[in-house]
Amino acid sequence: MEPISVLIVDDEVEFLETLAKRLRKRKLVVNVVTSGEAALEKLLAAPVDVVVLDVKMPGMSGLDTLREIKKRHALMEVIMLTGHANMEVAIEGMDIGAFDYLMKPVEIDQLLYKIQDARKKKALNEKSDLLGTPGRSS
Amino acid sequence: MSDIEQARKGETPFGMSFIRANCTAASVNVFRMIKSMDELAPGKYSDLHDRFRSIQGRISEILTQRKEIGAGPLTIVLSEIDKTRSDEAGNKMANLGEIRNHLGVNVPDGFVISSRAFRELINYGELQVEIDRLMQSSPTDEKDQLLSLFSLSAQIQQQIIRTAIPADLKSAILAAYGELERKEGQGVKVSIRSSALGEDSGLNSFAGQYRSELNVSADNLLQAYKEIAASKYSPQAIVYRLNRGIRDEDVDMCVGCMAMVDAVAGGVMYSRNPFDAGDGRIFIHSVFGLPKSVVDGSIAADLFVISRKPFQIAEEHIAEKLQKFVCYPEEGVCRVEIAGSEASKASITEDFAIELARIALRIEDHYGNPQDIEWAVDEKGEIVILQCRPLRQENLVPQRPGGPYQVPASEVVASGGLRASPGAGYGPVFVVRKESDALLFPKGAVLVVKQALPRWAALLGRASALVAEQGTEAGHLANVAREFGVPAILGLESATELLKNGQPVTVDADGLRVYRGRIESLPANKVTSKSLMDGSPVLDILKKVSENIIPLHLLDPEARDFNPSGCRTFHDITRFCHEKAVMEMFNFGKDHRFSEKASKQLVCGIPMQWWVLNLDDGFMEDVPGKFVNLDNIGSIPMLALWKGIVAVPWQGPPPVDSKGFMSILIEASSNPALDPSMPSPFADRNYFMISKNFCSLNSRFGFHFSSIEALVGDRANENYIRFVFKGGAADHERRSRRASFVGAILDEFQFHTETKDDGVSARLEGYDLEVMKEKLGILGYLLMHTRQLDMIMLNDASCEQLKSKLLADIFSVILSKSSGPVAPGSIPGSKSYHNKKEAK
Repeated sequence: MEPISVLIVDDEVEFLETLAKRLRKRKLVVNVVTSGEAALEKLLAAPVDVVVLDVKMPGMSGLDTLREIKKRHALMEVIMLTGHANMEVAIEGMDIGAFDYLMKPVEIDQLLYKIQDARKKKALNEKSDLLGTPGRSS
Repeated sequence: MSDIEQARKGETPFGMSFIRANCTAASVNVFRMIKSMDELAPGKYSDLHDRFRSIQGRISEILTQRKEIGAGPLTIVLSEIDKTRSDEAGNKMANLGEIRNHLGVNVPDGFVISSRAFRELINYGELQVEIDRLMQSSPTDEKDQLLSLFSLSAQIQQQIIRTAIPADLKSAILAAYGELERKEGQGVKVSIRSSALGEDSGLNSFAGQYRSELNVSADNLLQAYKEIAASKYSPQAIVYRLNRGIRDEDVDMCVGCMAMVDAVAGGVMYSRNPFDAGDGRIFIHSVFGLPKSVVDGSIAADLFVISRKPFQIAEEHIAEKLQKFVCYPEEGVCRVEIAGSEASKASITEDFAIELARIALRIEDHYGNPQDIEWAVDEKGEIVILQCRPLRQENLVPQRPGGPYQVPASEVVASGGLRASPGAGYGPVFVVRKESDALLFPKGAVLVVKQALPRWAALLGRASALVAEQGTEAGHLANVAREFGVPAILGLESATELLKNGQPVTVDADGLRVYRGRIESLPANKVTSKSLMDGSPVLDILKKVSENIIPLHLLDPEARDFNPSGCRTFHDITRFCHEKAVMEMFNFGKDHRFSEKASKQLVCGIPMQWWVLNLDDGFMEDVPGKFVNLDNIGSIPMLALWKGIVAVPWQGPPPVDSKGFMSILIEASSNPALDPSMPSPFADRNYFMISKNFCSLNSRFGFHFSSIEALVGDRANENYIRFVFKGGAADHERRSRRASFVGAILDEFQFHTETKDDGVSARLEGYDLEVMKEKLGILGYLLMHTRQLDMIMLNDASCEQLKSKLLADIFSVILSKSSGPVAPGSIPGSKSYHNKKEAK
């Protein structure tokens, strides 16, 4: 199987770099950006399997970014990862179509599993999309 | 949800960020289930959304509620403060204002920067949101905990100090200072003290968690204000609030600014003996210069004890005071040496001591409880009161070395000092000399320090005992040690040299001795598990919140209220979704044309009364038709379970005594829910739902209902097994006994079990693949062999006999590596199953 490609979006540079390094060690192809706007730009140029998205960022908010990603790339999976434990925001994110809503600090393996699961779901949806059968999107 | 259930017991400390994170995670998971139901049966269960929103709304409301304090002023002059304004001024300043304005006690002029001011500061530029985020994201794993505590504290404090004070607050503070200048003179220096909401309230001691700054000049007023405000997040304050279940958002930091008193003498007095509730004498500790050194225990102090009747000096101990703290002319304080005979002179006269005692009695009388009072004598020779608060009296009778325990003297490593907190504790020595040592302090170690500084309180939550060379039982650190139940000896000379890092010792605070190694005869570490969370606001909130999450009301799928509007908690919703999901999926073949998605009857040689629904990748290859052969099952947990199910052939029900049989007959004829002719889609059928790593089994044998759900794969931390066993046909007592019977067996195999009425639930999680398979084998075995036990359940002897037989089977067949299913032929197809297993 192709290595999983992820894009991490977070305005905290230190966190971003540590996480990227640890995921790369686990054989993922990792790109990083520090804002929602940059994420959308990056995805246009080079689509990925899974996006890991912070909720609270200066500029375009996490939820707006999520909405826009889902609009432009319906099958791309997005995992929200945030230090803000906010139920309303979490549910809004899930409603828009996030794959999951994780809270920092997250165990690296747990995040890795989520990324793997998200990619698996994406692959399934792409398959059923191709076959024209109603897909399981949960 | 199990984390929330565990936390409800209040045994381990947790904060609001724990509650918020868990509520958020729970609602995300429940919401995801509801969305899955929408996929499965579009529109059919949309009412669930309303229920979900309403439950979530209730939780949100509980999480966000806080005591609303009106829009009071940003600063308040001391002359307008009394105890009724403690919500605006904090307890410390409210107490001072009270005695100044209602009792006429001499208190320096000043003002308070209010709780509203603090909130304006903290909400400015979303500082609070940022603080919450930092608290939430801080690592919680054991090894990083301390390091992250200190760095978290530093980060938050820096954020607050860096933040710009909002313009209106800034001008309010400067205006209040200007007014003080008019009364006290141009450029008057001030003392700036924390006066947090809840601090000194008598319930919690908050001892020494926050900063105070003495002799601050006008230039640094604003900076000092921010520093004191930031000390809300000192490491010891964070640890204290966490352990005591106090919400961060309930602690607004009011700050008191008072004209600085350049004291010639000062100290602390207690209106009663703090360590002996039966002793009503007044205790006055006194030093030259500022009272600071009495508070932090750094310099030996004179002691005057005054009896009430007759009102006179009962005891007088003059210490050799080699140093004192005085004000620098420009700003700040400094420590100066006291030369020659001066050091041994009394710091105050007897007349002053009597006068002080009189004030102490007046304040005690006014408040109606014992008081802890900080005082000073100014350069004009007048007594001023700087602080007063309720005194926590404890019975702490001084101990003599040795204590009640017989331990050979050769085992003594150090002895002496005074008992600051009772009990005994065992652990390796860890000497903390500087701040950076503190970062490495291991959990369960004995904390050894030179000075009993308040900042070491941050480590007390992890320490098994405390030993310090200096300090007294009246100090801040001693206070916290007692509150946290950590045994402590203070004033033990040369402790940091006598005790070597890493050396295992037993600290016997009651005997004032430190012993080599663990002394078994001492009740070491017994005192610790004090439930500090009990009755705390945070635990209270968790309990309220969990009422909307944990309780299960939807029990019976056949009942009329088994519908979305009957869901009152998140648990109800998950129960409902689970049940309906099963139904929808088993109906799939009927309502839809995709027959490959319908359930298949399991074939082991011949078709059996077991049906299998493949959710995802549970079959080795696609299966057309109505049957699936065991060979084609690829589900790891199902195969493990099946191995247990077929391991030992069932002998049929055990012999029944006639009373047992009658009980079943009577119950069956009187309990309609048990009538097997009642329409139920799952009666007497056993359903597996599987994927490669998942298996859920619902089975009904006669009157018994059981369900097993398991996730088993290479990700050990995601692995789990849940098991529920309920019902039965006999009377309630027999059913309950059977539930306990099954629970007791599962207990022996590391399951967490809970028995309630006639049901037993068990869970197990986090083990690796092989262990999980073994446990599933045990469950499968029990599933088959605990059927129809109700009849013998009132007979203790047969219960015991049966238990030994079951355990013997489990050990000899299930847990023994060499054996496979016995008696080939007893379950048709078991041979091919076995071969399959080996081939994998």
